[in-house]
This record gives sequence, structure tokens and C-alpha cells, in this order.
Amino acid sequence: MKILLLEDDAATREHVERALTAAGHIVDSCATGPDAIFLGSSNSYAVLVLDRMVPGVDGLSVMKALRAANNRTPALLLTAMDGIDDRVEGLEAGADDYLVKPYAVSELLARVHALARRPPIAETVATLRVADLEVDLIKRTVTRAGRRIELQAQEFKLLEYLLRHAGEIVTRSMLLENVWSFHFDPRTNVIESHMSRLRAKVDRGFDRDLIQTVRGAGYRIDAD
Amino acid sequence: MRIERSRQSVLRSGAFRFALLFAAVFAIGSLLLLIAVERQIGRYAIEATDQSLRAEAGNLAAEYRAHGRQGLIDAIHRHAALGKDAPFHYLLVDTLGTRIAGDLPVDTPIDGWGTVPVDEHRHRGSRPYFETFKTLATHLPQGLRLVVATDTFDVQELTDRLGRFTLACGIGITLFALVGGYFVGGLFVRRLDRVNGSVDRIMAGALAERLPAIGISPEFDQLSRNLNLMLHRIGNLMEGLRQVSTDIAHDLRTPLTRLRQQLEETRGMADPAAYEAGIDTAIEQVDEILRIFRALLRIGTLEGGAGRERLAEVDLSEVMDRVHLACQPVAEDAGKTLFAQHAPGVTVRGDGELLAQLFINLIENALVHTPAGTRITTRLARTGHGILAEVADDGPGVPDDMREKILQRFYRLDRSRSSPGAGLGLSLVSAIAALHGAALTLADNRPGLRVSLAFPDQAEPE
Repeated sequence: MKILLLEDDAATREHVERALTAAGHIVDSCATGPDAIFLGSSNSYAVLVLDRMVPGVDGLSVMKALRAANNRTPALLLTAMDGIDDRVEGLEAGADDYLVKPYAVSELLARVHALARRPPIAETVATLRVADLEVDLIKRTVTRAGRRIELQAQEFKLLEYLLRHAGEIVTRSMLLENVWSFHFDPRTNVIESHMSRLRAKVDRGFDRDLIQTVRGAGYRIDAD
Repeated sequence: MRIERSRQSVLRSGAFRFALLFAAVFAIGSLLLLIAVERQIGRYAIEATDQSLRAEAGNLAAEYRAHGRQGLIDAIHRHAALGKDAPFHYLLVDTLGTRIAGDLPVDTPIDGWGTVPVDEHRHRGSRPYFETFKTLATHLPQGLRLVVATDTFDVQELTDRLGRFTLACGIGITLFALVGGYFVGGLFVRRLDRVNGSVDRIMAGALAERLPAIGISPEFDQLSRNLNLMLHRIGNLMEGLRQVSTDIAHDLRTPLTRLRQQLEETRGMADPAAYEAGIDTAIEQVDEILRIFRALLRIGTLEGGAGRERLAEVDLSEVMDRVHLACQPVAEDAGKTLFAQHAPGVTVRGDGELLAQLFINLIENALVHTPAGTRITTRLARTGHGILAEVADDGPGVPDDMREKILQRFYRLDRSRSSPGAGLGLSLVSAIAALHGAALTLADNRPGLRVSLAFPDQAEPE
């Protein structure tokens, strides 16, 4: 898919561009806000990746300008690590997700994928299904191969999020943000502990594991 | 940089200028006063002279009425012979102006008030000495005229003396004010020089030095006390800053050194799998260093008061429930038990995200620094004074004298050195609590550690 990247630091820009290209995307990159506004309004992109801290017209302003022009392309804002209010400000300006610098490229890739897939995930879907695993969102029930699986509320939310992003990598911080609303990184293994319980219930005793660990990146639930 | 020193002379000092001004005002004032007094006294003296002349003339006229012409002459002689410095001099003349009695010159005015110069050399040596007598002439029957005179010397002397006294006083007072002003000005300049000297030394780096009391008046002492309090506050802030820089330098050196070693070792690895694993370890170490940086920045930002305007009503019960549920499996995996006693629907004015981080940090602390089997309890309750949230464990606890210290950045108990962490968790807790106006208390849980947060009552205004 086609991605717009705004990043003023040349080394970082090339690094991210290489990683996105390697993942099979087409990247238009620029170093200044006005260029980003021009590219963003004259082309059609799947995702915008905007660095908030660009001298002059910054990512937030680009964001606002494009949104004001009725551009609804999903946008990921890259923010400084000390900005406590940055996330709220970014979301208010119309960003769909944010990532604190410095970040792992795998994290960026996972979030870009999640954003690009966003529109098809309708909240009105009643059933989520991967292979022989089925989750009924209305009755709040989980069955695998016709067998009923009892999950606790948090385990259910965790599984739901994985299924909504089936086939994609979801990172630890994506899970922390979306399942527990923790927008920080706890030192304790919150995700690992919950994930091992979820796996014990969903995968143990079945012929193959649906939940996979992607080393150095996160988790993925997949039919393959 | 040097401050401007008031090395100017005393004569230019403010105090001396004040003294000069006051001396001028005082001199003019006292001069006016003394002139007025002199006038008054002079007039009084003249009136007294006139009064005595009138009385003596009256006396003699009475003599004449009682004893006739000869009686009057006798009385004049008698009065004139009262002494060398007799108060009065007389002249009695007939219609032709012929002297009948008395020693005044014959050209003395013989009508009403007048003056006559008299040679007083008889009394004051050989040189002629003229003195002005004041005269009062009275008409008597038979064409007689009686002149009574008295010297005006005393009155003149009095006014002269008063004048001299006035002048001397004026000059004296002015000089006194000038000299006093000079000394007071000198005092000021010297004291301020001492203060400026202290300021110079403080600016040169003697940060422990304090300004001396300026003295002279309580207001100046108050000033130097306040300046010292300010210096104290600045000193504390600088000390804090220096402490943090030192801590950062010290605590980042270890992970950076490890990272360097890791990278050096990895470079020599031939096996691609081992090489990759080495790089992964290095990345983890970098992430740890970045985590420390992030925590420090967050603490710094929070201590700077950022985010205060973002505080809104937060369901603390929900936050603590969520944290409890998130941490429960972690505690189980670590062989510990997490209990929750949360009153429902308790709200505080705050930031939900920061509060979640606060409680996670406290639970993490309890998980990391206690042995397996420890029971950790989180409590939330409304009390008479506000809202009380607690995280308590029955682990080994923290010694009394260490409880304050563990809130400091990078501080770690010796026995915790080997466990993961950078010693920033509780500093962050402390900063978040301060942002919420919540009182953070570390107490003995008998056994274990109990961390309490007393949130201010919601009803109270900010």
C-alpha cells in the first residue's frame, strides 16, 4: 500500500523508508510540513506517518490542515518521549494513533498495518472467526471445534483484539493500550501473563496453536 | 560577571543625602524658631523697661503729690544714690528748662517717650562710652517736668546674645546633622559593602554563604532574611539538579558499559544465530536505557507541573480494578497473591492514565521486592477526611530511616541492587501523587510496607 512519511531527520527517514519498502509498501517521504501537505492533498495514501517534531510546519499542523480539507486518511503521529499531553493533543487534532519516539520499526510496521485495515473492521460484526475458533461478540461466548471455552473478561477482550487484527502482528503496547488502556509500558509482564492463560485455554489440547509469538515484535492470531 | 559595587564615597551615599536634606530643613526650622523667640523676648524686654519707667515716674509723681517739690527732689536724690548701677536716671527741670535735680543731660527730650545718649565713661574707664537711655517725661504741676530714664543696655545685650546664640545653634545643629549624616552614611555604605561582598562570593561559587544582617533597622534585616531564604531555595533547586545529573551520569554508566561490552563481544561472533542473539540483547539494553530516560523525563515534566490543567473527574475505583485485574496473573506467576478491597464509584480529580501508572508501579514494587508467598493488598476507601488508597504487602518492608530515601530518584536499597529496575518507580509515584495533591505516606505494615495516598476531598476547591 501507499504510505506518506514526514520525517525531518534524513537518517531516520531513510531507515523507516527502507523498512516500509521491505515490507512491500510504496513510500513517499518528505522532510517539511508544506511538502507533506502538498503530497497528502494531491495523492491518495493508505496511511500517513507524520513526525510531530518537524521544524516550521510540524506534523500536528499538517494533520490539522489535511483534516480541515476533509482528508480522512488514517494517520499515525510520532511524538516526543517527554510530551505527556502529546497523545491527547494529537488525537484531538485527528490522528488515529500515535507512537512515541524512539520506537522499534516493528512497532511502527504493526501500527501502520493496523491503521490501514481499520475501516473494514466494523463494530457491528457479531462473530469473529479464525479457523475453528469462533467468538460470539453478542453472547460473549467462545467456542473452538464446537467445544465451549470459558474466558475471563480480560482474556475475552484480549482475544477479541487479536481476532479483529487476525493475520496481523499486534505488539505488546498495542495490546496494553487497547485492552487495558495503559498508555505506558509497565515493567511487569502483564501481557505475557495474560497471554499464557489465554493460550492455555484457546490452544492447549487442540491440534495446532492459533496464537503465535512473533519474536521481537508481538503476537498474531492466524489460520495458517 | 560581577555585580556593580557601590564603591562610591560616603558623601554620595543615600543616607548622607538624606542627612543633608534633614540638616537643611532642621537648620531653617530652628533658625525661624529662634528668630521668633528672639523677637518675642526682645519685645517683652522692651515692654518690661517701659513698664518700669512708667512705674518709677508714677512713684515720683506720687512723692510730689504727697510731699511737694522738696519731697520730690529728696526722693530723686535718694533713688539716684541707691548704688553705682542704679536702675534709673532722673532729670527735673522747671519751665525755663533749668535743671533742678538729676544727672541726665539737659538736652534730654522732655515730652513723652524718648531716647538720649549718655556718656557712661564714669563707670567704664576713661574712654567715652555712649549709651542710649530710654526716657519718659512726665508733666507735673507748676511747670515742672520730670524725666525718668533707664539704660537699654540689658535689653540690647539680651537681643544681641539671643542673636548670637541663635546663629551658633543653627550652625551647630547643621554641623551636627552633617557629621551624623556622614557617619550614618558611612555605616550604610560599609554594611552594604559587606552584603555586596557576600553576593560577590556567592556568585563566585560560595553557594553556602549567606548575606549578613544589614542591621540599622528591622526592615533591612527582614530584607536580608528574605534574600537568604531565596538563596536557600535556589540552593536546594541547584542541589537537586546536581544530584539528578550525577545520578544520571552514574546510573547510565553501568547499562552503557554493559551495552558496549555486548556489542564488542557480538562483533567477534562467527555464528549468525549467536550474532543475531547478541544484537537482540544489545537492543534490549538500549531499550532499558531509553526507558530510564523516558521515566526521568516524565518525572521531570510532572514535577514541572505539566498536565495539571488536564486533570478531570476520574473513576478511581475503575482504575484500581483495572490495574488489579491486569496485575493479578503476574502476581500469580510470581507466586504471590493480589487482593483488592475497593469501594465502588470513588472518584477523584486526576489523570486516569497517570493514576494507573502510579498503582502499577506500587504493585510492581511490591512484586519485585518481596519473596514468593507474599500477600499484596490494594485498598480504596472513603474516609472522613477524603479518599484513601493503599498498596500494602506483608513482605520484608523498608527500614524506618530509608522510607523517605526510596522516593528519591535512583535510590535503591542495597538488598534490591540485584533485582531489576533503575530506582525510578517510586520517584514517579511521588511526582504523580504531588500532581494530584495527594499525600504520599510510607508506613510499616507490621510486617511489610504500606504505601498510602490520601487524596484531598472532592468537595474542597483546588
